[in-house]
Amino acid sequence: MNQNLPISVDQIEEHFKEELGDAVSDIKKEEIEKGLKETPIKLIWMKVERDQFRDAVEALSELQVPHLSVASGSDMGDIVELIYHFQVNHGFPADEISVNIKVHLPKDDLKIPTITDIVPGAVTTEREKQEFLGVDVVDIPDSRRLWLDEEFPEDRYPWRWDEKGMEEMARYVHDPEEASAEPTSERVGEKRGGEEG
Amino acid sequence: MNEEKEDSTYEVPIGPIHPALKEPFLIKFKLDGEEVVGADPHPGMNHRGIEFMGMHRNPMKVIPLSERICGICSIVHQHMYTTAAEHAVGIEPTNRARYIRAIMCELERIHSHVLWAGVAAHEIGFDTHLHFTWKIREEVMDLLEYITGNRVNYSMWTIGGVRRDITEDMHPKIFETLEYYEDLYEKLEEIFLNDPSIKMRTKDIGILTEEDALSLCGVGPTVRASGVKKDVRIDQPYSAYGDLDMDYVVPSRYGYEDKGDVFSKTLVRLKEVLQSISIIKQCVEKMPEGEITSEDNKAGLLNKLKNMGGEGIGRIEAPRGEAIHYVRLKEGEEDIDVWKVRASTYNNLATYGPMFMGEQIADIPIIAASIDPCIGCMDRAEITDVNTGETRTYSEEELHELSVQKTEELVDGGIE
Repeated sequence: MNQNLPISVDQIEEHFKEELGDAVSDIKKEEIEKGLKETPIKLIWMKVERDQFRDAVEALSELQVPHLSVASGSDMGDIVELIYHFQVNHGFPADEISVNIKVHLPKDDLKIPTITDIVPGAVTTEREKQEFLGVDVVDIPDSRRLWLDEEFPEDRYPWRWDEKGMEEMARYVHDPEEASAEPTSERVGEKRGGEEG
Repeated sequence: MNEEKEDSTYEVPIGPIHPALKEPFLIKFKLDGEEVVGADPHPGMNHRGIEFMGMHRNPMKVIPLSERICGICSIVHQHMYTTAAEHAVGIEPTNRARYIRAIMCELERIHSHVLWAGVAAHEIGFDTHLHFTWKIREEVMDLLEYITGNRVNYSMWTIGGVRRDITEDMHPKIFETLEYYEDLYEKLEEIFLNDPSIKMRTKDIGILTEEDALSLCGVGPTVRASGVKKDVRIDQPYSAYGDLDMDYVVPSRYGYEDKGDVFSKTLVRLKEVLQSISIIKQCVEKMPEGEITSEDNKAGLLNKLKNMGGEGIGRIEAPRGEAIHYVRLKEGEEDIDVWKVRASTYNNLATYGPMFMGEQIADIPIIAASIDPCIGCMDRAEITDVNTGETRTYSEEELHELSVQKTEELVDGGIE
């Protein structure tokens, strides 16, 4: 398919609709203009059902070896939203398109299939999603922790805002009221004692 | 035979503190004698939870915070964060600000690449070159200080534009610095691309194939050295880059092979110094008149950010490669809802696997440095014999010594 590159935003939209049908929704196309020559930055956002997520990535890899910039994620209450930021058309001046695929995972079933067999470079970001959001990446080739310290509790996830988050572990020193308050947890107390000594 | 081979495997952790790495970082190597048969990077030694911190601050407070993610590419993170926030709420920076941003980014690229060349030279035992490159790097840092008032953490960006102007009376000083680098460039190339002993240490080692570069989603000079044409400045021009005349820096453009070894990576970085000089000249020439920011009223801006929801992406080509920020603001909420930061080394981590494979222990420092990781100083390496559990610790000096020794051996044996 490489000979058809660069493809346009509309072609991407069509390609996804053709391959995925109803599983793809909320398509939003954007063009932001930059500079005196007004060269546009092209983006497309879409939501894909979890069961068809792998199909979506496969559909994308039919076009070009997809470049996965990163997957960002957030806790939105009942669901955890993951956004996979892909780029296609690299190597074509001013034609690159950001393809942002959103997947919603219900809190009681936080599972997403791995895409490392399609995009081997995705393993770093998948490992990060596991430890920061508690998402279970099914069949991930390497499920070890990446960034967090070994001593960090197993069932706490820094980007979650519910009871599994780390709000009570954190202390906001930029908040004058809280900074002057007595330290709450043992760990903070120890550290403070050490500094004073 | 197979069993014997497995028996002779050693594990060598390098890091978390090491001089080749500008930040604490650990790589565990599996060795078979002198040969590397596996590399497993362990980042996170310096994880500060900056995204978590950002998600408890208002969008204006995150601007200085984002700058402190990295000391060398502080401009990069501020640029991405402000671009993402602008995208989220639909603020357009002024055209003059776009040009000033591009100039700043390129100055930082010169600074970063020259610094890297020094680190690379040090890794293979050429400390004279380290001192030479770090001396000439001072010029661009002086220029950055002249423009912004700071050597590091320039506090230049704001949502909607920049905070300080580059006026006409600053042009002579800018051109003077650019000329300084142009005059020195030939010497740099002579040292890093033509010196026979440096060539022996950098050619054909730490190879990343084009296929691996693409499938592992590598970024920046690391993959351009393999012939992959990925450069956000050209692919998806931000700031003023869409107006400028530039091309992908790949070795084949200069008559070299797109090999993806340490030599190609050095070549790409050096050529990018020249490219940056040309970009800055074009920007200074074409810079339009006008305001430097579209949002003068800071309280009003904060109010606007608070009351408008939206999500945005800031994606740029940092000195080390593509980097991206994702920002989401929630309507009526003061704090940022989501902030995801992804720097270049994050994607390049995966490229370590194929690059180290089959290389020698003495080549570890230069290959580790070849992706220009944002990690600073390798202190000591521990070698564990898997069978006996016996642990041997290599000090920083010993490992460095091994690398220097290899250069000396090559020089003595290979050239006059």
